Amino acid sequence: MPTKQTFAEVFESRGVSRRDFLKFCSLTSVALGLSPALLPDVIHAMETKPRTPVIWLHGLECTCCTESFIRSSHPVMADIVFNMISLDYDETLSAAAGQQLEDVRRKIMKEYNGKYILAIEGNIPMKDDGVYCTVGGNSFLNVVKETAAGAAAVIAWGACASFGCVQNAHPNPTGAVPVSEVIKDKPIIKVPGCPPISEVMTGVITHVHTFGTLPELDRLGRPKAFYATRIHDKCYRRAFYDAGMFVRGFDEESTRKGWCLYKMGCKGPTTYNSCSKIQWNAGTSFPIGSGHPCIGCSEPGFWDKGPFYSRLAEVSFLGTDTTADQIGVVAVGAAAAGAAAHAAVTAVKKKQHDSESEK
Amino acid sequence: MGRIIEEIYVWRLPVRVYHWINALCIVALAVTGLYIASPALNPPLGEAVWQHNFVMWRYVHYCVAFVFIGNFLYRLYYALLTDDVYAKFGGFRPWSPAWWGEPFKEQVASYLFLRKDEPNYVGHNPVAALAHFVFIFCGSVFMILTGLAMYGENRPGGFIERFFGWVLPIFGSSYNLHFAHHIMAWIFPLYVIMHLYAVFRHDVVDRTSVTSSIITGYKHKVEDERSL
Repeated sequence: MPTKQTFAEVFESRGVSRRDFLKFCSLTSVALGLSPALLPDVIHAMETKPRTPVIWLHGLECTCCTESFIRSSHPVMADIVFNMISLDYDETLSAAAGQQLEDVRRKIMKEYNGKYILAIEGNIPMKDDGVYCTVGGNSFLNVVKETAAGAAAVIAWGACASFGCVQNAHPNPTGAVPVSEVIKDKPIIKVPGCPPISEVMTGVITHVHTFGTLPELDRLGRPKAFYATRIHDKCYRRAFYDAGMFVRGFDEESTRKGWCLYKMGCKGPTTYNSCSKIQWNAGTSFPIGSGHPCIGCSEPGFWDKGPFYSRLAEVSFLGTDTTADQIGVVAVGAAAAGAAAHAAVTAVKKKQHDSESEK
Repeated sequence: MGRIIEEIYVWRLPVRVYHWINALCIVALAVTGLYIASPALNPPLGEAVWQHNFVMWRYVHYCVAFVFIGNFLYRLYYALLTDDVYAKFGGFRPWSPAWWGEPFKEQVASYLFLRKDEPNYVGHNPVAALAHFVFIFCGSVFMILTGLAMYGENRPGGFIERFFGWVLPIFGSSYNLHFAHHIMAWIFPLYVIMHLYAVFRHDVVDRTSVTSSIITGYKHKVEDERSL
């Protein structure tokens, strides 16, 4: 594999025409939300910058991020993305395996020290020295620490690596933690979602490569280009929400009419992602488009937020599952009962007092 | 019954106005807030594009919320920068152990029927002051900060989001923020019940006209029958 190839060279060697290359550059800059004036910069970077080596580690995960990634929908992306970023190590996608592959990882870590991107999919079990996930005879925890040491930046793919997903949901038997709990000294780009949208994944990688900087991140460390607004804000069913036209049951006429799924527990109003903009599978649809409420898979701790089909989470209270409103009603009822009891005692005491003073 | 022996002007007009605006805001915010959480009315007829039913609930909630915030800030200004002794929080010093001493204990004992006589205060008694601090001051600050953080979500990068968006990461996620705002809203009905009960009871037991004082501003000192 010749190292330090540019994108343009890769495109050329693959027989992709210059016209297609320029198309790819403009699609990429659109996906990144860049102004058309920056298109020459994108083309320039693609033509002159050597490809960024990426080491892609898999921890405790289901590989849905990779599954999403390989379905990236731009015309020539599916084939090209692997080549353009120089994906040197990936347990799932690499042709090599075993010792051979581990050698490649060490080689990249040495040759590109401080320059390669570390992409992590899945989270890291910490309990019992991390024995619950081992790669090549070493615990995943050690592999991550070792590989992160020389990385320029870390990309946390998916809900697992970003915030922790089903693995670290209560009671979290393996002590699984997101990447940010293990790596403290490197910039981390969190790309949450279960999985993240493929165009979001390729977009983030392209941004890092093109500009050599991290994309602008929000307060939770997610790229603003894709996670600045909620699904709710761009939802095509928003008009029904504003009108107060809600689906009340899946077997109702309102479902057929495609009304808002707010009352069915849709987490769109609290979920930051691009599903309602970019959509899935080459813009085919997204969960709400298929009539299912959003489950908020790109939000921290979404497994522990109670049932997917109700708005309020259930709170464990005295051993039973109750919602916030039930707790509130009980508390207010208790206060009213307390006040009534206090009033009764006051009345009795006053009567005693009055009869005493009459004597 | 005892005669009124003294009229004391306790609650000046700004305090009374604050109290009633605050009360109305809390009722309006609680009603619209609970409706926003679980919209129960039937959907309107016709095309969605012509309807603004649910939006109006949100709109009223936001408008009233800003009145609530303005009113709250006005009360802080009035307490801190004017010379109205009864409106100041001067007597309230929970950081000093002395405050938790005799007067506080006496008042608690009186509420628990461990004392026969009622300690009398012109302004708030220490237990009332503590309740106001916990429910009205801390509760309002909590609801205002979480509310503004959620309001900022409507316009990422906007003014409100820039200045109050930091609240969101404290709660971990937008969902938790909504949840906290929702569950904490219940302290207001809780407080209203205790507040109304305490006021009516004091009026019956001490006959200090505390109920009407928030309209007229005057509290009364009455002659103690037993001293006759």
